[in-house]
Amino acid sequence: MVSRLPFLLCLLLALASALATNLCKPEADNGYKVRLSIKTALGDKAYEWNESEMFLFRATLAFAMRKHFNTETYDVSNILVCNDTPRVSFWFVVTKPENTSQLVPGAQVEVAVRKSRNRINSAFLLTDQTLQFLGIPPTLAAPYEPATPPWLIVFGVVISLVTIGILALLISTFVQKRRKGKAMPEEEKMENVYENSLEGKSGALNGGFVEDDKYTQL
Amino acid sequence: MEKDARPSWENPMQFVLACVSYAVGLGNVWRFPYLCQMHGGGGFLIPYLIMLVVEGVPLFYMELAIGQKMRLGSIGAWSAISPYLGGVGIASVVTSTFLCLYYNVINGWAFWYLFHSFQSVLPWADCPLNNNQTGYLEECEVATPTQYFFYRETLNISSSINENGGIHMGQALCLLLAWMIVYLCIVRGVESTGKVVYFTATFPYVVLIIYLIRGVTLHGALNGVRYMFTPKMEQLANPATWINAATQIFFSLGLGFGSLIAFASYNEHHNNFERQAVVVSMINSGTSIFASIVTFSIYGFKATFNYESCLERVRLLLLNTFDMAENTISMDNIDYWISELNRTHPEQFAGIASKLETCDLEAELDTAVEGTGLAFIVYSEAIKNMPLSQLWSVLYFFMLLMLGIGSMLGNVTAIITPLRDWKLLSRHFSNETLNGLVCVFCFFLGLGFTTSSGNYWFTIFNDYGATLSLLFIVLIETVSVSYIYGLRRFEKDVEDMLGHRPNWYWKIMWAAVSPLLLIGLFMFYIVNYIMGGTPTYQVWDKYSGQSVTMAYPAFAQAFIGLLLVSSMGCVPLVALYVLWKKKRHGVEVTDSTLST
Repeated sequence: MVSRLPFLLCLLLALASALATNLCKPEADNGYKVRLSIKTALGDKAYEWNESEMFLFRATLAFAMRKHFNTETYDVSNILVCNDTPRVSFWFVVTKPENTSQLVPGAQVEVAVRKSRNRINSAFLLTDQTLQFLGIPPTLAAPYEPATPPWLIVFGVVISLVTIGILALLISTFVQKRRKGKAMPEEEKMENVYENSLEGKSGALNGGFVEDDKYTQL
Repeated sequence: MEKDARPSWENPMQFVLACVSYAVGLGNVWRFPYLCQMHGGGGFLIPYLIMLVVEGVPLFYMELAIGQKMRLGSIGAWSAISPYLGGVGIASVVTSTFLCLYYNVINGWAFWYLFHSFQSVLPWADCPLNNNQTGYLEECEVATPTQYFFYRETLNISSSINENGGIHMGQALCLLLAWMIVYLCIVRGVESTGKVVYFTATFPYVVLIIYLIRGVTLHGALNGVRYMFTPKMEQLANPATWINAATQIFFSLGLGFGSLIAFASYNEHHNNFERQAVVVSMINSGTSIFASIVTFSIYGFKATFNYESCLERVRLLLLNTFDMAENTISMDNIDYWISELNRTHPEQFAGIASKLETCDLEAELDTAVEGTGLAFIVYSEAIKNMPLSQLWSVLYFFMLLMLGIGSMLGNVTAIITPLRDWKLLSRHFSNETLNGLVCVFCFFLGLGFTTSSGNYWFTIFNDYGATLSLLFIVLIETVSVSYIYGLRRFEKDVEDMLGHRPNWYWKIMWAAVSPLLLIGLFMFYIVNYIMGGTPTYQVWDKYSGQSVTMAYPAFAQAFIGLLLVSSMGCVPLVALYVLWKKKRHGVEVTDSTLST
């Protein structure tokens, strides 16, 4: 009996892993395909994808499940991975911690992943585009919207400058005209001085130039 | 004391720069490169230069001579040549008004883009997000972000000319700013314009040189330049090439608007306009060629960028479908892998065959665009992919502004000079008030172009407002100078101003070659209008993200007819009016002499 124990244990483990393998397969109902593009994202600094990296992935996913359900029951062994390809893409499913033959519904996995997407990305130094969960669209970051649109600020500056320029030109033209207007009446007054001096004298009769041809007829 | 002495340029350089600033405009940047590409690249230079020598320079010379001799705006100058020809001047003023109305809207757009460049991320670089932040706005997805920014955020365009909407406040503000700047430049007439043109004429060249250096150092730029300069000589046999060369020279020099006559009317009597005419025409054409080198290096960059993005997408598609390691397929061996995978996994390959794009660099280079599409969509797209894109964007749109405002100065001067010459107005209104009224009037009418369907009305004005009418006006101008005024009188006037008569080359051009050429162009345009059937226009379809061709509705066609008639009709109307007045006056004179 005792000697059969390790044999039974092995059988159980084999069964468990067989079940696990059956749970995780491509196009699984509650599973998702993950694709990593490490060389595209990191170029020269790209790391090799190996078992340890896979372990990290399973650990981060377990963390995401813990965070979402707010329990401490999820473990690395609950994340099952299969169909690993050279592309670095694979399928994963999440089993329930209480009952490892049952899968967590895909919708809940999706919500959990979306919540912790940033943390998962950062663990691998990747982005939403290079670490893809096919079927889980990324939540795009809302662009920063400042209170006043920046273009309005630049516009305000430019139009104020132009307005000041126009006013400056108009005022200087107006002042010039006023100055010319003041100069003009002075000139006229000078002319008027002469006119006035002439006006009083309508002309005095100068007897020396009176025609006296009636006296001198030759 | 001459209180009303005609103002004049401070020195001849100001006049030359004003002409350069007026002639070198947006058309040099966005029309000439397109024509070059359409008509065989380097080979297009042959008809272009021939037309410059045969048509451009002689007509330019003639307009400057008239303006400098008569020392009046277009209406006064033509009335002085012959009282029956006052209508030619009025037609010029009407055409200039149409141009002023819509041209400043382009400056408004340039301001809009310029102000939007002062952001950390250019707004036309990315699509805005949709409501639940899972993806981008649909209209932006089907089109490109630059097209979305232009058609939706800048224009807020409606889906046809029938549908109207409200005024786009941002556009209205930018148009207001554009008119205020034009007013600031012309407020004191030639005195202020003369100083502004130092900047508006030279700054675009600074930016073009900077862009040339940046452009040719971009990745893939040489593809574009090589493509443009490879001559396709068979295009020379196509009559459209010669016609387009002639019209391009004609419109690029800005003949017939009355601006050249107005500018020249402020010249000293003995100014050597002959040399200046040749110089300005050469500068204008040289700038066109220079700008097209810049444009084609940008094209080359954009085409190469799109081509390489296409290749990248194909590569990713293959990698993802066949789950191969990332470094197995690179840009160079894509074709090998396509055939290989087709051979080894035919069913899987057939599954993705529909998504597989064919990436063709030639096809990308072939997409030729002109007009506002080139300036605001293609260029913005290229700029957003450059490093330090905000700087390049600011420089580029500032250059567009300088080009646009330089041309506006000429057009507004063409309206204001004849108005000032009219004693009735100049007695009651000061210089500044008259200029201000013209600007305010044009601004309020121009607000119509900032509505939702405004871009479609803009296209009507752009295509029909100043094309046929100008050909007609300049044709009448050449014929009247050569035959009504008489070449002999004209020669004597030129001799009086320059000290020597124009040589036989000019005379042959004015009397024979240019009129024939203009008649030919005019006939061609009329035949084209008639044979083309219902005129059509491009409509932005927001569901497919494409421009769709639609026919103009009846009221739009009637409006086109009105545009053409209102400018060209001035010539016969005024001639008839003067004839009628003379007949009446003549009869009265004879009556009065008989009665005494």
